[in-house]
Amino acid sequence: MAGSRKSRAAGPPPPSVTLVLDNGADTIKAGFVTGDKADDRPRIIPNCLARDRHKKAYVGSELEKCRDFGEMAFRRPVEKGFIVNWEAQREIWDREFFDDKAPQRCDPSETRLILAEQPNALPALQTHCDQMVFEEFGFASYYRGIGPAFNAYQDIQAIFHTPRTPDTSTDIPAEILLLIDSGYSHTTVTPIVHGRPLHQAIRRVDVGGKLMTNYLTRLLSVRHFDMRNETYIANEMKEAVCYVSMDFNRDLEKTWKGTRGERREDYLSGGGIAKDYVLPDSHTIFHGVVREYDPGGASSRARRAAASTEDVLTLRNERFVVPELLFNPSDIGLRQPGLADLVMQSLSVLPIGLWPGLLANIVVVGGNVRLDNFIQRLQMELLKRVPDECVVRVARPEDPVISTWLGAANFARHEHVERLAVTKQEYEEFGAGWVARKFSAGLGVDS
Amino acid sequence: MNNFGVIEIASTTTKTTPGWAYVPDTGPTLPAVAQPSNRKRAARNQPALSLSDLSAREETRLRKELEALDRDNHRDVNIPIPPRPGGGSRAQNKHTPNVRKILQSQKTFANHLDDYIAMLALAESNPVAAAAMNAAQPKPSTPTASASKSASPAPSASAAGASKRSAAAAKRAAAKEKQEQEKKKARQTPKLEREPEAEPQQQQPPPHQQDDDVEMADTAATPVQPAAASSNQEQEPNPQTYPRESQILPPYAKPPPRPHPGDDDPLLVSAIPPFPSDDELRALMTAPPLSYLEARATWAEEESRYPVRVFCAVCGYWGRVKCMKCGTRVCALDCLETHREECLTRYGL
Repeated sequence: MAGSRKSRAAGPPPPSVTLVLDNGADTIKAGFVTGDKADDRPRIIPNCLARDRHKKAYVGSELEKCRDFGEMAFRRPVEKGFIVNWEAQREIWDREFFDDKAPQRCDPSETRLILAEQPNALPALQTHCDQMVFEEFGFASYYRGIGPAFNAYQDIQAIFHTPRTPDTSTDIPAEILLLIDSGYSHTTVTPIVHGRPLHQAIRRVDVGGKLMTNYLTRLLSVRHFDMRNETYIANEMKEAVCYVSMDFNRDLEKTWKGTRGERREDYLSGGGIAKDYVLPDSHTIFHGVVREYDPGGASSRARRAAASTEDVLTLRNERFVVPELLFNPSDIGLRQPGLADLVMQSLSVLPIGLWPGLLANIVVVGGNVRLDNFIQRLQMELLKRVPDECVVRVARPEDPVISTWLGAANFARHEHVERLAVTKQEYEEFGAGWVARKFSAGLGVDS
Repeated sequence: MNNFGVIEIASTTTKTTPGWAYVPDTGPTLPAVAQPSNRKRAARNQPALSLSDLSAREETRLRKELEALDRDNHRDVNIPIPPRPGGGSRAQNKHTPNVRKILQSQKTFANHLDDYIAMLALAESNPVAAAAMNAAQPKPSTPTASASKSASPAPSASAAGASKRSAAAAKRAAAKEKQEQEKKKARQTPKLEREPEAEPQQQQPPPHQQDDDVEMADTAATPVQPAAASSNQEQEPNPQTYPRESQILPPYAKPPPRPHPGDDDPLLVSAIPPFPSDDELRALMTAPPLSYLEARATWAEEESRYPVRVFCAVCGYWGRVKCMKCGTRVCALDCLETHREECLTRYGL
């Protein structure tokens, strides 16, 4: 192959620069680790090609320049958490990392790549990924590991605010940890011991941010007006107003308008749940605004709306019915268990002796866990299901979206990376099958 | 208004009407297990029949709705890659054959999943052919079966093949496996030193085996810990019961909490599950990954589940009444009327 003669880096000393990528379906989290120094935060790049209503196309971070998100259409290279369309993914990576004027420029032949992938990938897609990394980009060294496991390479007890004496050293990777990753495509539960995922117990439910946004879009289209082409706006709305209900029945009662002719107090006053959302009009406002519910009745709202020509949606049970899908996917006919049951299903294949440790160290990451009350609800539901003696602690890192990246950046400085990474020479010598086997075998048990 | 349901309509357009549908007659109604992604081989992949009372029509509607919820855009869009303004720096001229194949592939995830299922099915029904197919692709790109001999659950069937070819393949696989085992062993041996244990001890109750004289610190006796309301889980490691030799998850090494007079009270002793042995843990930690389909969680058995909640299709409150025509749930009269309009435009009178 032509590539083998061209590559000049490699050899015994590993590359000093590491590009750490958490290549999510919605956003890429990217940053560098140089020697012992890592970027403080990754750059967050939208992982999509987008086109607005004037047919202008945006690639990756160019989306920041876009102001009007009306009727935005997206093409995403990542489907279900896995890189499927390499044509688009290569274009985005090229523009972000490899071009002359790329914002995070690096030379792949002198760089190590650490790529986070979702667990339980299809082998064909994994092989595609390895081939692209070595044969197209020509990275000097590479490791592809499952994203949830990288989270163990952080100071987990700091997330829990576990009281500690100052002299206690932190374990990296964490000794035992149950990681819940709720992202754009799906939600996974991964038990991790010493940084090794317990593969037999990884479970997935196909509810993610995308499904919830689409569900919100559908509800609004039925009840208010057609938003089906306004995914971006619906997503902003979801992030702004949705919350996880602690008492679903009570909240649903409060937002019911009642039978014919009935005037329910909670409904008229909003019951503390109803909120007004001002939609962007693409002239003066480009992002929606949440407002307190105006209980003055339809007439006062109509008067105000006529004066200001703004579109206002009143959101009631949409606010909590949408995140409820995480806990009850059967509400839309999806025959999968809710999040708490998912955790229990995962635990059920593990020896009971591990349960206390796992349940006391549950970390949630991913974009969806930013919803209000997510942690409290999960903890409440789990407490109902586990034995009385078990302590259930659920915590979320300060920024759950970049947590996997931070863990991977720590991993890049850990001695484990030398044991796992594969160099370009090795790839050329042993082939993609060997690389795939090495990655799936993982660390093994020792240390 | 009711002409015994007979109404003449001067129209040639056909609509999907409720009431009937063509379905293969396979006995009791099947639950759509591989619901969202894959309906191609759905009938074959059913693990078990259930007494789900959903009719085929509702089944189809559900599947369509879920598929709609799973899309990135409402409409089909085709966004070509825009030309780059400055021109890239990376040499774009030559791709290797593998790369060219990958870049030109227009497969979606569903296609890949179908391929994978087909491969599994082939490996199951005809290991010889599967082995041959894998052997026929000597490039490093042969992705699945040969690559993941140890990783994917299917190809183990190849050992059963009687033909020379598959036997040879099995032998090769065994040799590979052995090599790997040795490699692993070599990796395991030198590293026995451990970093000092520190962190989860507060909360992680060092599990003992069932033993009557487990010590138990009273909550009040331990310092108050806000995050760890759990301190009553702290227990003194019991040298006889804890697997001392455990290298993977070593026992609690810190000084035990202060003894408490109630420690010996048999009423306060809690049953503690046996801790997994090192071998068990090792097996868990080195187990191969599950496949995409195996990792997908499914419903537990019928009895252990709550019944599915139904909601009003219009306002989202509980669905208390059914529309007599189409079976959609609504909450009360107001919503029923709103629904009737839609029902009429959709299905006629």
